[in-house]
Amino acid sequence: MISSTIGIWNYWIVFCLMMIGLFLVIGRKNFLKKIVGLTIFQTSVFLLYITFGKIKGGTPPILNESIDSIYSNPLPHVLILTAIVVGVATTALGLSLVLKINSEYGSIEEDDISAQDLVDYHDDIETGKSVDLKFKQ
Amino acid sequence: MISELLINAFLVTIMLSIAIALIKTRTVIFTVILTSAYSLVAALMFITLDAVDVAFTEASVGAGISTILFLAAMAYLPKKEEESISSEFVPALSCIILGGILIWCSYDLPEIGQFTAPIHQHIAPEYIKGSKEDIGIPNIVTSVLASYRGYDTFGETIVVFTAGVAVLALLQKKDPAKKNKSQPKQKIRKNA
Repeated sequence: MISSTIGIWNYWIVFCLMMIGLFLVIGRKNFLKKIVGLTIFQTSVFLLYITFGKIKGGTPPILNESIDSIYSNPLPHVLILTAIVVGVATTALGLSLVLKINSEYGSIEEDDISAQDLVDYHDDIETGKSVDLKFKQ
Repeated sequence: MISELLINAFLVTIMLSIAIALIKTRTVIFTVILTSAYSLVAALMFITLDAVDVAFTEASVGAGISTILFLAAMAYLPKKEEESISSEFVPALSCIILGGILIWCSYDLPEIGQFTAPIHQHIAPEYIKGSKEDIGIPNIVTSVLASYRGYDTFGETIVVFTAGVAVLALLQKKDPAKKNKSQPKQKIRKNA
């Protein structure tokens, strides 16, 4: 009974970590914090996959002829190895987008940026410039 | 058995406290360092779950290269995070509800470490059995990565290449010849 509860409990921790990552993404207005949240979410998903692959009493999936042992499932490990590298690539892309936004707006706070956009929009209406063109871009 | 549980509980506590500290902190440098620490503890967690290859990749790539990228980006960005104007109640509530649903659904998941779980019955036994004769490498993860599922790895390199090209295109300095084109836009912003 206790062991079964502990078995499920590990999933709960992973879900909590995932939700903290998701909160950082949707709750925080700072873009760098959003990317950090994405990283946290990713790592938690990795943990979930690796947890699926674990076999009780198993060893790491490296063949050992001297001992007749049970190996943990290698497939999630492979998938997550790929995911880690892709995750770093997406982080790099996200960070370069943030840098670009910072050089355009001088801020990486979502509130600031939407306020600037709103001011621009009203200026355009006042000066009679075509607003449609801006939104088509 | 007990020692395994203790190590697990210890690492999990550290991870949760790092995640909560990440919500609390508003300083960018702390955020970056905490993210790095989170990846490192996750790597330790992977070792306890028998995923040694994933652990050293996470420690070198997740905790190493990502941190370098964050630090490099940090140099050009504001050092402090501003307090949000809008309320964080709705995002927090939706996260809590989603987490509750996930925890509720977790009762249908197979228990951790059970050999009878569907994931261990499908194709993994064939990989473990065939690895020695087919590829001849003792490390099963390597043989699956490079041979059985080689196309996945090929796709991964394409993704990384695309991301690299996109980063270069984004961070490119503006061509002086094209400066005239972007000037009107700048003017509007100055008026604002």
